[in-house]
Amino acid sequence: MMPPSNSRGTATDAAQRPQGAKPVRVRRLHLPQKLRNLELFLLLIACGINAAAVVLVQLGALGHVDTTLVLLGAGLSVLVLCMHVVLRLVARDADPFILPIASLLNGIGIAMIYRIDIANGDAGWDSSAVRQTVWSALAIACAIAVLLIIRNHRVLFRYTYVAGFIAVVLLLLPLVPGLGREVSGARVWIGIGSFATFQPGEIAKIALAVFFAGYLVRNRDSLSMVGKRFLGMRFPRLRDLGPILVVWALSMSVIIFQRDLGTALLYFGLFLVMLYLATGRLSWVLLGMTLFLGGAVIASQTLEYVNGRFTNWLDALNPDVYGANGGSYQLVQGLFGLAKGGLIGTGLGQGRPDITPVPQSDYIIASLGEELGLAGLFAILALYLLFVARGFRIGFAGNDDFGKLLGVGLSFVVALQCFIVIGGVTRVIPLTGLTTPFLAAGGSSLVANWVIAALLLRLSDTLRNQPRLVI
Amino acid sequence: MSVSELTLLVLRLGFLLVLWLFILGIVYALRSDLFGQRVRKQQQDAAASAPPLAFAAAVPTPVPAATLQPAAASATALTEQLTARPAAPPARSGPERATAKNATRLVITSGPKSGTEFPLTSDSVTIGRSGDSSLVIRDDYTSTHHARLMLWNEEWMIQDLDSTNGTFLNGSRLAVPTPVPLDTPVKIGATSFELRR
Repeated sequence: MMPPSNSRGTATDAAQRPQGAKPVRVRRLHLPQKLRNLELFLLLIACGINAAAVVLVQLGALGHVDTTLVLLGAGLSVLVLCMHVVLRLVARDADPFILPIASLLNGIGIAMIYRIDIANGDAGWDSSAVRQTVWSALAIACAIAVLLIIRNHRVLFRYTYVAGFIAVVLLLLPLVPGLGREVSGARVWIGIGSFATFQPGEIAKIALAVFFAGYLVRNRDSLSMVGKRFLGMRFPRLRDLGPILVVWALSMSVIIFQRDLGTALLYFGLFLVMLYLATGRLSWVLLGMTLFLGGAVIASQTLEYVNGRFTNWLDALNPDVYGANGGSYQLVQGLFGLAKGGLIGTGLGQGRPDITPVPQSDYIIASLGEELGLAGLFAILALYLLFVARGFRIGFAGNDDFGKLLGVGLSFVVALQCFIVIGGVTRVIPLTGLTTPFLAAGGSSLVANWVIAALLLRLSDTLRNQPRLVI
Repeated sequence: MSVSELTLLVLRLGFLLVLWLFILGIVYALRSDLFGQRVRKQQQDAAASAPPLAFAAAVPTPVPAATLQPAAASATALTEQLTARPAAPPARSGPERATAKNATRLVITSGPKSGTEFPLTSDSVTIGRSGDSSLVIRDDYTSTHHARLMLWNEEWMIQDLDSTNGTFLNGSRLAVPTPVPLDTPVKIGATSFELRR
């Protein structure tokens, strides 16, 4: 007979003894190098595809292969392999798919931008492809820095309100006289002198995701538990509506003062999804969508540029709208390009994507659709799908609420941005000026998306559920 | 043009093909995530490693006598000999609930790995066939994401994640998240476990 208050060890012994006493086994699985080796394998394939894309562009557009390949192809490959080595050292359990997918998208983007350069006859520092490669280097350096500095995502939780403050400052920066720049109507750029323009709103979305995640983890109980039931849903109390109204006002002011519809939609959509995740209540989504649609309808009546976007969308093929200044010329050219591409495309370097205005940034999807066809475009969409799914996976597997919310929020930003841009180009929704993540020419977007990739890698490393026991 | 049209056509089709192969490669590598791990043949293992009933009987299960099945009844008898645990507080509805304070470990009580245990922390414990569950159970009856043990207000609750074959707490199938009493068997597939001090 044992005393009732037996300690852990003796209790185990008692349970084991009749069997001939095996020692207590706490088995753990260690697979880190396996994950990293898989990543390396996929990464090498991705680099090979990137190089092949540049070669095909040269064969198609120039008819021969020249040395630009060395700079464009090898430059990116070296960078992503550096990042892979960093991951081996500081995030051994990170997700093995995020880096190869991001590298492939970035490389295909560079190849396409290079193709537009050839059509425009740009070379050297005029060439957007060279600049894009340099920006990629900077972006991947930022991503490596994020991986090295943030060893555990919980650090970000401490800086919730700092992140919120940074987001607001970044959003307001383009409105500062002398610093802000207006490009094709939207005041979302900052620049010093005549060069080095940057879109601070792209970085703001990361800060916003951190802020929303921290804020909602702290306050979700009051947002989800109380309220009246109506139409089978629990609606929040009036005084709990504060946060959603603040974010709504923020995105409406982006529409009014910065004249940027896409960014406003992006921020508001991010907030709604994170709110839904944190509270699990559909009523928030319904409420938010009503608010945003109401705001958008009012804006389309009162603000001329929003009205123009709606007309271009609904009546794109009308010759008057097509020929008007600021009309649907670009949209329709993009559609013609996609139609010319057909199922398998004209082949890299063999189409005429340069006819569409800004074919290397906003319209890179139409350019790729023309030269790679539906098959290629769907492959690119599948890559985005996998990237976003890996992010959602973090939210599913993790144990930490802040990390879950942040992971899903960050990957949802990428998904929503894809939807807004590609939906705009393919005339599903009104066209708004956002960049296609990883693909489009644009430094700020590249930096922001590589930092998102780094944060997702970090989250997947710290949140990975190591099996504690395998049966 | 130094390259013929035909070569270009072949190259561009090849490019699309490689692009899709890359994607399919990723999906193939993800398969255990999407469909769960391969089921392991368990019959031989089970026969070899565990004389299950006797072993399960060695496990203290002080559940109220009214709810006992015959097999479990012999278990309690043996248990009392072994540990002489004080009987669960009488008249209260069942044994003491497992809380963050009083439960320190999860012990497997039947199935091929019975006798194994691991310490409980404040993290939730996910159970299923998928490789990233905290407790991976690879048999025919376990779903990919089968159930979850979590702390709710400092109390351990078990929630069935819509599994095909169900999660059984002390013999009855779970419908809603339910508090887990100490030393009470939770059965998933061919495996049972208990939370203990």
